[in-house]
Amino acid sequence: MKSTIREILVDAQERFGPEVGVRYKAGKNQVEDKTYTQLREDSERFSNALAALGQQGSHIAVIGPTSYRWFVTYLGIVNCGSVAVPLDASLPAADVWELLDRADVTLLVADAARRDVAEGALEHCPQLKSVVLMQQEEDGEGLLSFDKLLAAHPGPCDVMPQPDQLCTIMFTSGTTGKSKGVMLTHRNLAENAESIQMNLPDRLVLLSVLPIHHAYCLCLDLIKGISLGAVICINDSLLRVVKNIQLFKPEMILMVPLMIETIAKKLEENTILPPKLVKNTLFGKQLTKISSGGAYLDSSYIELFAKYGITILQGYGMTECSPVISTTRPWKPNNRAVGQLIDNCEAKTVDGELWVRGSSVMQGYYKMPEETAATLEDGWLKTGDLGYVDEEGFVYLTGRKKNLIITKNGENVSPEELENKLSPNRLVQEVLVRENKSVIEAEIFPDYEYARKKHIKDVRAALQEIIDEYNLQAPPHKKIYSLVVRETEFEKTPSKKIKRF
Amino acid sequence: MFEKLVEIICNYVEVEPEKITPESRFMEDLGFTSFDFMSMLGEVEDTFDVEVDEAEAVKIITVGEAVDYIQKLAQAQ
Repeated sequence: MKSTIREILVDAQERFGPEVGVRYKAGKNQVEDKTYTQLREDSERFSNALAALGQQGSHIAVIGPTSYRWFVTYLGIVNCGSVAVPLDASLPAADVWELLDRADVTLLVADAARRDVAEGALEHCPQLKSVVLMQQEEDGEGLLSFDKLLAAHPGPCDVMPQPDQLCTIMFTSGTTGKSKGVMLTHRNLAENAESIQMNLPDRLVLLSVLPIHHAYCLCLDLIKGISLGAVICINDSLLRVVKNIQLFKPEMILMVPLMIETIAKKLEENTILPPKLVKNTLFGKQLTKISSGGAYLDSSYIELFAKYGITILQGYGMTECSPVISTTRPWKPNNRAVGQLIDNCEAKTVDGELWVRGSSVMQGYYKMPEETAATLEDGWLKTGDLGYVDEEGFVYLTGRKKNLIITKNGENVSPEELENKLSPNRLVQEVLVRENKSVIEAEIFPDYEYARKKHIKDVRAALQEIIDEYNLQAPPHKKIYSLVVRETEFEKTPSKKIKRF
Repeated sequence: MFEKLVEIICNYVEVEPEKITPESRFMEDLGFTSFDFMSMLGEVEDTFDVEVDEAEAVKIITVGEAVDYIQKLAQAQ
């Protein structure tokens, strides 16, 4: 088994060098290809550039939508023994700068879509030494040109990262409201990708539609994709998923339940034509597999898609496990389970909670020893999920122990973080955030006294305005789309905390 | 424009067309999910032959705002 991401890339390049590795849109309906040799060479150029900048071994952040340059950056960082910090491209700039600081990042690589982050970064992050902008043509105004860096540093890179070397820090929502940096080594990620058994053939065509900074997408679309010598096609916008399926003709797509539910509506729109014809017209004959992860998918969708000739392979995991813990093996379906444990993972149940152990379990949370100690015990990772595993390795989930909202697009949201954003408003006396029917809901007990003083007649409308204002700057998965206004105070626990359940 | 948009909206959510007003909020009133909304905008691009800017689109709250935005795009072309 290959235990570093570099070994996986080198192996793919040796087997499939001149073949297409990455395919993406370059203008309307125009497609551009990069071969595995180009991917390896460009990423090695980036590694060389890092050495020239004195950044080899440093923590280097990358932010932006999925792109060929993003892949080159990530592979260039980790394959020369540096640490990649992939960041959420939808975060407000101030939040990104805070994470750069916390992760001790000294170089930032940003897509032009986040020029705002790039431009203010040096001023806000004292540890940061340089910023590279992916689409910058010339160096200037404190921003280095990505293409120029590549052009200036040709030649192979002979640094061999070690399997147990830290390679990636990924931020994930913490229950206390502060996100935590999950530390993953080469072995963690590489062996996770290598251990996933889904009977996927070499040269598979896959379409990458999820945000690349997530472990699920990074590990499966990129690392697993490379290990299969796959054609990794890049979806340029969530607006155009259906159109891009028609353009790229993928055989498999990684999705979250939210997307599967929308696509189900599309499939069900047509009630006259036979199901397989509907599916072939919409998505082409070749699309036969969807891998679902990030959140729980109701098994009725698996049955529905089967009718249309698409196999949904449900999986389960978390960033702390690089991320895959279990996947459905196509030859052994079981709709009640969230798949079978992958080969490098074992599990047990302790007080109802699922614990897992294996070569993909993280090293800990970056600079958070208390949180790490609360999550790792003798090599076991406490998942925070209630569940069990049967003798065949099928994983069953029964509930959640930690106070975390898992939205249908697979994002983890801390209710406390959102509560802390709303509660500074004078009109908000008490607030509780939770999930209700798949949307994030805020229940607010307003300060009626304050409303009277300020002559606010329509308290509900005023609260909605507060939420609209919050939503405007919040990343999509943290937006609040339901408001409940209380007449009375919340019931409290003996320690004066609002009772959540 | 409004009527055409209502027609598209009804492909994504189960709401009676006559209940949709310019003040209707996509998420809160009509029950859109964020991905429904994105896919609908993809259909809007095809129907009205415009190019939607994702960063602008996420600021849209009501059906009326969507109509204004699409009209602005159509006029700019």
